[in-house]
Amino acid sequence: MTRPEILETLRNTMKDSSPEPIEWDTLTEETSIGSLGFDSLSILDLIYDVQQAFEIDFEAEALVNIKTVGELADFLEETLKA
Amino acid sequence: MKKLRHLVEYAALRPLLALIDALSLSAAEKLATVLADIYFAAASRRRGITCDNVRRSGITSDEVEIRRIAKDSFRHFACLVIDSLKSDQYFSPETWRERIELDVAPETLELLEKPDQGLMLISGHLGNWEIAAQVISFLKPVVGITRDMNNPYVDKLMKDRKPRHNFKLTPKHDADMGRLLTTLKEGNVLALLIDQHARDRGMMIDFFGSPAATHTSHAMLHLITKIPMCFGYCVKTGPMRFKFKALPPVTFERTGKRDDDVRAILEELTRDLEEAIRAYPEQYLWAHRRWRQAK
Repeated sequence: MTRPEILETLRNTMKDSSPEPIEWDTLTEETSIGSLGFDSLSILDLIYDVQQAFEIDFEAEALVNIKTVGELADFLEETLKA
Repeated sequence: MKKLRHLVEYAALRPLLALIDALSLSAAEKLATVLADIYFAAASRRRGITCDNVRRSGITSDEVEIRRIAKDSFRHFACLVIDSLKSDQYFSPETWRERIELDVAPETLELLEKPDQGLMLISGHLGNWEIAAQVISFLKPVVGITRDMNNPYVDKLMKDRKPRHNFKLTPKHDADMGRLLTTLKEGNVLALLIDQHARDRGMMIDFFGSPAATHTSHAMLHLITKIPMCFGYCVKTGPMRFKFKALPPVTFERTGKRDDDVRAILEELTRDLEEAIRAYPEQYLWAHRRWRQAK
């Protein structure tokens, strides 16, 4: 998967998982995940949906320190390569 | 005004706790039973809710039996407070097995005995869930999530008193998912109750045949971490004597569809809870409005 494909899949996944109405077209790599309406419960939905969308298994606690969409894309890029 | 009320409640509780401490277990339980009976007779609204809930569960349609279960439930929860306050005098790492009958599925026991293995233990407001956490904490460290009491003075007083051994409480408002994930990764037991009203954040799952808003977070944690999850409960069998039962870990066919997988888990856990309640209806917290409408 290329970086733009990862970001596009991520945008669509987040759109489905987020409980809040967000302007998804304005999403950038610098966007904070916290600003996308995810709270302690819906973040679990996001992790599950990311695992399904990218068909990968990863330890959920690896995401604890990830703050932005770009950092999440970096993590997925590395996991997909591994 | 609120602060004054909290201070008055705190001032009233202190001598009551001192009295309970001074009484023997048997005398304290007798006092608790009398107070529960007075409350059952006086609190008509709460008594009505309790009887309605027993009736709605379909456990019995006999009105005399419904009232008996409701009254015994009040007594049970009054004695639960006594047991929880006095348990540190009776349970220690060396002696706890003398007072606890363990009925744990072999697969679950194996998980509990593995030092680095995380486990999610799901229970309900049945029996004594505080004692359940204490019992398990003699086998493996336990983390539970609790809601702070409305009265901060009483909250602090109770937290300072409670025996903990390897049982830690995390306030609900502070239970961020990163911390819970780390808790499980570090080989602890995460103890959660399944039958709290989830308001508008839950999934509607049938509880005794009627839909109840049910929290999904434990099912989601299981799905994303794949850490085993089992249902367990601890019922009272005599004065400061209990039976802890834990079922084998939950297994189900993953569909890859989030809501379907969550529903499958919640339905299985709810069925387990219903079965346990049917066996010990007097030890369930029927006064809790489990079926109230989601807001």
